[in-house]
Amino acid sequence: MTHAPRAALEIDRVGKTFDVAGRHVEALRDISFSVRTGEFVAIVGASGCGKSTLLRLILGLDTDYAGEVRLDGRRIERPGLDRGIVFQDHRLLPWLTAEGNVAAALRRSGLPKAERRRLVAQHLELVGLENFATAWPAQLSGGMSQRVAIARALVNRPRFLLLDEPLGALDALTRLRLQDELARIVRHEGTTALLVTHDVDEAVFLADRIIVLQPDPGRIARIVEVDLDGQRDRSAPAFLRLRDEILDTLGVRHAPRAIATAA
Amino acid sequence: MSRLATALPVPILLFGLWWLSAAQGWLPEQLLPAPATVWDALAETAASGDLQADILISLQRVGEGFAVGAVAGLIFGGALGLSRPVRDLFDPLFLLLAQVPPLAWIPLVILVVGIDEAMKVTVIAWASFVPVVLGVAQGIRDVPEPLRELGRALTFDPWDLVSRIVFPAAVPAIFTGLREGLANAWQTLVAAELFASSEGLGYLISLGRQLFQLDLVLAMVLVLGIVGLTLNGALALVERRLLRWQARAA
Amino acid sequence: MSASARARPILMGLLVPVLLIGIWQAIAATHLVAPYILPSPALVLARFRGELDGGTFGGDVLASLSRALAGFAIGAPAGVGFGLLLGLSRVAGRLFGPIFLAYRQVALFAWVPLLSMWFGGGEAGKVAFIAMTAFAPATVNSWRGAAAIPAPYRELSRALTLRRLDHLLLVALPSALPGILTGLRTALIYAWLATVGAELFLDIAPGLGGRLNEGRDKFEVDLMIVALTVLATLGLAFGQLGAAAERRSIPWRNR
Repeated sequence: MTHAPRAALEIDRVGKTFDVAGRHVEALRDISFSVRTGEFVAIVGASGCGKSTLLRLILGLDTDYAGEVRLDGRRIERPGLDRGIVFQDHRLLPWLTAEGNVAAALRRSGLPKAERRRLVAQHLELVGLENFATAWPAQLSGGMSQRVAIARALVNRPRFLLLDEPLGALDALTRLRLQDELARIVRHEGTTALLVTHDVDEAVFLADRIIVLQPDPGRIARIVEVDLDGQRDRSAPAFLRLRDEILDTLGVRHAPRAIATAA
Repeated sequence: MSRLATALPVPILLFGLWWLSAAQGWLPEQLLPAPATVWDALAETAASGDLQADILISLQRVGEGFAVGAVAGLIFGGALGLSRPVRDLFDPLFLLLAQVPPLAWIPLVILVVGIDEAMKVTVIAWASFVPVVLGVAQGIRDVPEPLRELGRALTFDPWDLVSRIVFPAAVPAIFTGLREGLANAWQTLVAAELFASSEGLGYLISLGRQLFQLDLVLAMVLVLGIVGLTLNGALALVERRLLRWQARAA
Repeated sequence: MSASARARPILMGLLVPVLLIGIWQAIAATHLVAPYILPSPALVLARFRGELDGGTFGGDVLASLSRALAGFAIGAPAGVGFGLLLGLSRVAGRLFGPIFLAYRQVALFAWVPLLSMWFGGGEAGKVAFIAMTAFAPATVNSWRGAAAIPAPYRELSRALTLRRLDHLLLVALPSALPGILTGLRTALIYAWLATVGAELFLDIAPGLGGRLNEGRDKFEVDLMIVALTVLATLGLAFGQLGAAAERRSIPWRNR
């Protein structure tokens, strides 16, 4: 008898309202979904649909919301080392070297110094920056800084890797390269991943399941299973078909409109 | 807790300690006179009219000196900021002279103009002059190049460029310079009055010291604080009014 | 930029001072003004050399410097500590901030008579005054630096579940460091200004201020010019040193 894979993360009817200049702004309404161990889930939507807010709730930075977020059946109360996060702005501390930044995440791990050093080196190697361990963030490019941030997020071997538009601040070429890197790294580590992005191609490239959010207020429009395997080809017809479907759901026309010309 | 509520406990505590120490005689009268004595000294100078007269004189001196220094500073600072040749010619000398503390000029100025009003106004004017020049020159220099380029692209003539782009952009820095100039002027005034004067708030403090009347000294220090606070508050108000259009950067 | 283009500003900068010295020399040479009112540049230079060789000038400079540094060494760290406390702890900021700001309203030199009455006019009183002047800017800047830790870093700290001490060492203090350094640099300048001022008022010897007073008392303008020039140079040196030290202490800034 096979058991259905356990839902490691459960989002149960989550809603969040902000008070902005006296007005109530409903950022999220009735969000429910679950994430299985080992899955790569992407949350896609336009800016302002609440996807980053949702990630912060899952991280535990914000505990004032309706509904419940449960990890292994227990409600999340605060941030924890079981959830690593990569922010859109890499947020490397400028006064720590690359390895210093990665090591900062291990402060609460309780591991002996030698072990911590080993883990830091290992994860810098994982992201391909073993030669830049002693560099200051100011000396690193955007892509490199973000890779350090990824190493930092993974060094605790967290159960969940949360990614908040991690590649949004990078140029298009670096973004494509890092998407490949990210796919490789997550596969290698076997971490469960939750990616927030506005880039549909990125979502289709990386995720096993895509949750499409519509804005005002943020609600789930659709949940899509991605049945492409392993190494994905961004130009394959199946890829493009799926991408177009999602763009359609988001209300973005992918085919150019005919412009009426003066007769 | 409201701002006021948290601001009060410590001052009240300190005052309580002061009063208690005087009442219990923890420290000799020469070191720490009782609050009541200080209040009496204050009341006395106020009643005799000396306090008001001296405050007025001090303010007058600051006003005169600052006015002269600030206006001169605006002109000279403007010249330094706008004209490359002027900057090359006069900047090094000015910066060197600015290194000398304003008070250090007093002995020399005394030799030249004597010990009276002229000396104080001169020194206060110089003390105001330096920060204003620095503020104006820096403010003009810091106007972002993109803004200047915009002006050129819109074919502004030099006058328009300065009045519509450079000057407005430099206003915050100019105000900072003015604020520093006034603060400098005030500090210099008090010092100059302490050093060589027969009237003014500084003089009253120095008098108290000469007469070994600590209560008078303390009372005047208090008055100084209040006057200083008022001056700062007034300037802040003026600044807020004039800069209403400016969005406050975080 | 060509060599001549680079040299031009330097030459122009020297032009006015050289011109002024030339005019000065000319006036002195024609004896339009009595030499004791306006000594020629040559006389001033001679006085300078004389003071260095035979006089106590070196001792005066040393005395002024050591006073300034002593006051700085006491007031500046105290100010940094206090400022950090005010900035890092909102409670402390609310409780002690207002009275500190009120204290700042009092013009610095007004404390001199008070301190000289308390300390009886000795060296301790002067150093106490200098310490007080260094205290204020150190506090203000450290306070500002500590209170303005950027929200992204604070969030990161929470995401990494850092404990208080780690947060302080890894996030709060480094973030406040630029403010602290500005505070120290400003405190140094203030300490120097206070030293010169205190020496002028309290007529302390040895010290540069005392020599300035001496020049005025004995109507020796050459001595005064020498003293003023040395003051200017030292002030410049303090400023430059402070700025250089500040730059060096932040190795992670953009290279």
